[in-house]
Amino acid sequence: MSAVITPPASSATPPTGPPHHRIAWHLWRSPKRELWLAWAILVAFYNLFFPVFFIVAQVQPPPQPTWDLATQVHWFHERQLGIPIGFGIIFAIGGMNAINNALIAYSMRRMSVTRAFGYSYLIIYSLSAIPGLYLLCIALIVGTLRPDRDPEAVGWLYDFAFLSFDGTMGVFLIGSLIWMVAILIDKNRVFPKWFGYLNLCNALTEVVVAPCWIFRRGVLAWNGQIAWWLDMVVFGVYQVTFIVMLFQMIRREDFGTGPLPDLARKKAQKNGEA
Amino acid sequence: MVDLADKSGRARFVPGQPDMWAFVLFETLVFTAYFGFYLFCRTQTPEAFLHSQAQLDLRIGVFNTLVLLLSSWSVARCVQSARAGAYGPALRDAYLTAFFGLVFGCSKVFEWAQQIQLGNGFDSSDFFTYYFFLTGIHFVHLLIGFVVLGIVIYQLRSPARRSQQLVETCATYWHTVDFLWVLIFALLYVVR
Amino acid sequence: MSDAGESDVGGPGSARRALRRIDGEVILLWTLPAAAIIWGSAFLLFPGFRSPMSPTMPADQVAAFYRDNLAAIRSSMILFNWFGVCLVPILILIVMQIRRMAHRTPIFSYAMLGCVASGPALFLIANVCWLLAAFRPERNPELTQLLNDFAWITFTILVPYLIGQSVILALAIYFDDQPRPIFNRWVAHFNLLVALALVPAAFVGVALTGPLAWDGVLSFWLKNIAIAVWIVVMGVVLGRAVYRERAEQRQRLEGPEELVDA
Repeated sequence: MSAVITPPASSATPPTGPPHHRIAWHLWRSPKRELWLAWAILVAFYNLFFPVFFIVAQVQPPPQPTWDLATQVHWFHERQLGIPIGFGIIFAIGGMNAINNALIAYSMRRMSVTRAFGYSYLIIYSLSAIPGLYLLCIALIVGTLRPDRDPEAVGWLYDFAFLSFDGTMGVFLIGSLIWMVAILIDKNRVFPKWFGYLNLCNALTEVVVAPCWIFRRGVLAWNGQIAWWLDMVVFGVYQVTFIVMLFQMIRREDFGTGPLPDLARKKAQKNGEA
Repeated sequence: MVDLADKSGRARFVPGQPDMWAFVLFETLVFTAYFGFYLFCRTQTPEAFLHSQAQLDLRIGVFNTLVLLLSSWSVARCVQSARAGAYGPALRDAYLTAFFGLVFGCSKVFEWAQQIQLGNGFDSSDFFTYYFFLTGIHFVHLLIGFVVLGIVIYQLRSPARRSQQLVETCATYWHTVDFLWVLIFALLYVVR
Repeated sequence: MSDAGESDVGGPGSARRALRRIDGEVILLWTLPAAAIIWGSAFLLFPGFRSPMSPTMPADQVAAFYRDNLAAIRSSMILFNWFGVCLVPILILIVMQIRRMAHRTPIFSYAMLGCVASGPALFLIANVCWLLAAFRPERNPELTQLLNDFAWITFTILVPYLIGQSVILALAIYFDDQPRPIFNRWVAHFNLLVALALVPAAFVGVALTGPLAWDGVLSFWLKNIAIAVWIVVMGVVLGRAVYRERAEQRQRLEGPEELVDA
């Protein structure tokens, strides 16, 4: 916590008026502006991240491990511009990820649990970006760099990229478990318990995907129905849910150290005070 | 199950945390998807699957199922005792459940070793990929179950803690582990 | 990481809040010019930087480059490997200053922490690739070229954490609402400018020639000059903030007991 506290805003209630005025107030003047800004950046990041991977660079859904080298080289050739441009965007906005992790670490700080949880999560997820994202993007970029490169080298880059993407598991596994434990033993009711269990489901997807390091075909390969498609569904549900959960948390936030008040009760308080 | 009988008295009573039931539902959906893929894959190459399935020992499967059913019974008894305030018997039942779980675990590992010795590994055939995957992911759930039982035992041991809701929540999880196994048993061992 | 001066509000009796321990920060601060000199020397020592290697060099030429410049490549890269993480203590000093800002939540310092940990890791990967390429100069030239490509792309594209740091610091400064902010507003504008200057380098894979290529105006010169300028400017600004805090602490300890307003 900072050594200095901002003097409370003269009116801690949002102004009435058109939505963009109110949003601007929340982002710039509200006592919760830091949280809202972090949340807005989180949403912006994912709105850029997924379209880049799926549409611009077209590297997801992943191609097959069973393709021969010539097909792999052709795959790279098709994405000669899409990959460097798409990943250029990723590398430019990648720093936003730190803010996402900071917001989640903050949610753990608001809980009644030790701060060790928040810091552990922050460190684990910060370093997860290198093997889980940046290295594979670099491998794919290097793959598109020289169309006349030896196909064997290209094949190596191809494997490196897709195995890294699916196969970087431990960071997300342990990170999710840390958040889960924090939620389940939290007495401040920052998140509902079912969200803790959802973290377990997300952690289990990292276990399920482990066979991608073994199989080149079938449901458990890096593009398999179970290892990729089903895991992506669970992951997608998890992502949307935690974005909504963080939104609710910020709305309920009272900057205290006790249990987080429920929204309905807060509204009643507000009406009572008005 | 044991707790459903209580529903008559209290209108919105759900044993344990409702959150755990949400988790159970989610995991069941995920496992249903796994089973769906298995069944679809099976229709593609039925003879190969039948041939591989024949290598499984039905007796071990039945034994495993019985052991887990017994463990479900003991954990239900544990919940009943805890609700009645008889924490000594409840604790004993919790230990009994853990024991049954351990028996199941060892039996599973033994069966895997046996299959590998026969030459059926994770990647030897499509059927065995599913076999090891399904029993493997179930085994992970079992291991989590041991942690959950540990929480039950921890709660029951000290008078300061004894949260009935937590005990029931953990029991719900254990029942799920049993339930999922029954489905796997039916799918992998019985349906031919 | 709890500071001694972390009490939330100055309530009754806390006029003399426990002071944050700051011994040694000046030592850490002065490692920056030392690191800068070493980095600068290593930079000039590496023949690939003095006149940046062209991406269009064929494999044989790349192999020849490594064969002919073995000593310079190895010594410069070993120097970089030793001192690659030297920026981390400085970044942590900045985190400590962010914690002194008038924020309601520690989100900015957390976010800064998230950037600090992984930044040097990418640089070290590039460093290792260069050293690997120089280890067996008689290797198949295609493989040497692959390693060289990997090193250069990683070195150029390692900007996400740098951009993140600058943007987070700028935001933290903008939100620092107090009569005497820790850093002046212009530092925030400066950081945003630096972040902008680093963005083109992310697109290094687009072409093998031109301003975006790894030897080009935007990806090499603009990026590295921006980083150098950031180090110098932030070093001075951070130094002033650190010394100011020391002076304030000394005043608090020696001066008459009064209600503290930072």
